[in-house]
Amino acid sequence: MTSQRPRSLAWMGAAAAALVAAPYLLPPYQLRLVTEGIVFSLFAVSYNLLLGHAGLLSFGHAMFFGVGAFATAICLNGLPGISCLLAAGLGTLAALLAGLVVGSLLLRVKGTPFALLTLAFNALFFAIGVKWHTLTGGDDGLNVVPPKLNLGLLILDPGKGPDMYYLTLIVLGAALFFCWRFTATAMGHSVLLLRENEERMRFLGYNTNVTRLMLFVFVGGLAGLAGSFYTLLNAFVSLDAISIDMTTKVLLMTFLGGTGSFPGPVLGAFFYTYVQDYLSNLTDNWQLIMGVLFIGMVLFAPGGLSGLGQGIASRLGRSKTASQP
Amino acid sequence: MRKFAIACLTLALGLILAAGASAADTIKLAVMEPFSGNFKDIGDRYAEGVQYAAEVINAKGGINGKKVEVILVDTEVKPDVATRKATKLILQDNVRHFCGGTGSSVAGAMEALADKHNTLFFTYGMAAASLTGDKCNRNFFRTCASTDMQSYALATWVAEQGFKKVFCIAQDYSFGQEAVAAFTKKLKELNPQAEIVGQVMHPMGTKDFAPYVSQIISSGAEVVFTSNWGNDLTLLLKQAQPMGLKAKFAGYYLNDELMINAVANDQAVIGGVGAEVYMISIPGQANQEFVAGFKKAKGFYPTWLRGKAYAATMFWAEALKKAGNDKVDDVIKAWEGLTYDGPAGKWTMRACDHQVQQPVWIAEIVAKNPYFSHAYVGPAKMVAPERISVPCEQTGCKGLAK
Repeated sequence: MTSQRPRSLAWMGAAAAALVAAPYLLPPYQLRLVTEGIVFSLFAVSYNLLLGHAGLLSFGHAMFFGVGAFATAICLNGLPGISCLLAAGLGTLAALLAGLVVGSLLLRVKGTPFALLTLAFNALFFAIGVKWHTLTGGDDGLNVVPPKLNLGLLILDPGKGPDMYYLTLIVLGAALFFCWRFTATAMGHSVLLLRENEERMRFLGYNTNVTRLMLFVFVGGLAGLAGSFYTLLNAFVSLDAISIDMTTKVLLMTFLGGTGSFPGPVLGAFFYTYVQDYLSNLTDNWQLIMGVLFIGMVLFAPGGLSGLGQGIASRLGRSKTASQP
Repeated sequence: MRKFAIACLTLALGLILAAGASAADTIKLAVMEPFSGNFKDIGDRYAEGVQYAAEVINAKGGINGKKVEVILVDTEVKPDVATRKATKLILQDNVRHFCGGTGSSVAGAMEALADKHNTLFFTYGMAAASLTGDKCNRNFFRTCASTDMQSYALATWVAEQGFKKVFCIAQDYSFGQEAVAAFTKKLKELNPQAEIVGQVMHPMGTKDFAPYVSQIISSGAEVVFTSNWGNDLTLLLKQAQPMGLKAKFAGYYLNDELMINAVANDQAVIGGVGAEVYMISIPGQANQEFVAGFKKAKGFYPTWLRGKAYAATMFWAEALKKAGNDKVDDVIKAWEGLTYDGPAGKWTMRACDHQVQQPVWIAEIVAKNPYFSHAYVGPAKMVAPERISVPCEQTGCKGLAK
């Protein structure tokens, strides 16, 4: 184990260096794809905290993403002079509140009723988006001009690719790191317990409803933060951000990447972003291929990409140890 | 730690994908339309108009010595898809000129993108008034009527015909609401005696229009205003006639040949009027030449969408000619205030909001026409630009200076 640690530290150092240097190495369009990948990574990771860790299948995750995205756009348009980080913060707060309201209504249901009710709530939020067009712009969506961010020593312009990349990398990277740490905390463990044996947990004296509600608020906020950055990145938000399509997208990303491990959804988000970009250049029917890929993954590699990766890695490791006398 | 390393490795692999190079001897014009899904027929017809315009321009030697290269991009009517694909064209292939006509949400996204990268976007079909209103920016041009102008034109027609009882029916979303509000406002202004005897905002994708039709019949309306499109228009017309509705329809999209085909009952559409900035039946030599040329080249008629896209592209080409090059800043400057005398009358690009000032043409659907075996538009009558214009100070556009 002792030889493992410096090696993985070296790996991480190299990866960090690559991420910092990315704007200098990559053509602008690739940089944008990476930025989008980071945004969807956080979205998918927040989804996997529900699905993979707590075992709650939700069909309504886009409602938090959309609330965050729209709240940010509304703040940027309605409060002149607001900083884009504060707008993202308020967007996250709005999604937290949405998580609190929806979560407290869904406390007592599990399994299929939970999945269907989240779907219904997503449809409700979508309907509000369509109807309340003085606020959301309805079908037309909202345009925003993300203001420059003055950090004293340097000024970041979210309209510029590299600046937006760094902003996303730092803020969402920190959020991703926080999620990763969260899975190791007592709260993170109690979420796992919730999935494995809720009854036993109750006998041990936990209030499982409170745990579930806290988790719901937490993942709602994370998805909202991802939504906020989606708005900042595109300088635009439309009903797509809160639609069932967006829920399907995060579900696909998470399943493709694998629900069993923390980096799975990150892998899935990047994989989806790149494959979508590649396929949609080739054919207008790229969704068909993505669907086949999804079905194949679920049938033959339920662990997703990360599961495949781990399988290969452990096989390699085994053959290495086997060849050593 | 191991898992993190795996994630990072895959990330690095993804980054290796390289960018392509591009040639600089053509003017690339990207057409952002739906080429798959429910709205494919609309995207296809718009694209045919743009492509024909490019053929005409290239046959005469191109613009400023450069040929026009049309790139078709499938937006799926999704703003995020449109944004991603257009960003790629801008950053990788150095495309600077974009156009499109379907989906006001796509329009909003493209408007934001044009502003961000200083590219040019012109629309020949996106009607939401806000695009050249409070969302306006200097990189965005509209060469078709806004909902305000199209509603004003129909209100003008209704007022001129002297109808007293008017019913409004529209789809319940931004577009339908905008269209009805503008129509009602203008009608009250032109003919205070006219009365809106009823108004229905129904959900998109309604299948059963019977309750609404009986509401119209019992209201005693003489004319029905509707901004419906697609299935919502087809089914409304299809169900209204057998129920005995006698009132005329005054609608945005009654001149859609595919819709009339789908209704499959000429009696249900005859007598209704449509309003558009381009109609195949517009009088004048310029239009006759265009229709004949198009029919000869493609084998079918340039109906409304094709004509709108064609005229818009020719107008854009005029701006490039005047600028003397295809640099975005120069083209913007050249296009402001420019007048183009094309198949659909004189179009002038207003500098204050980049909304074209143009006539809207009104035509009644008649049984006998030279174009189709089914009913289609009769001779088109002009509603002059100044009668439907929205003054600069009322658009909500707060200046385009950067």
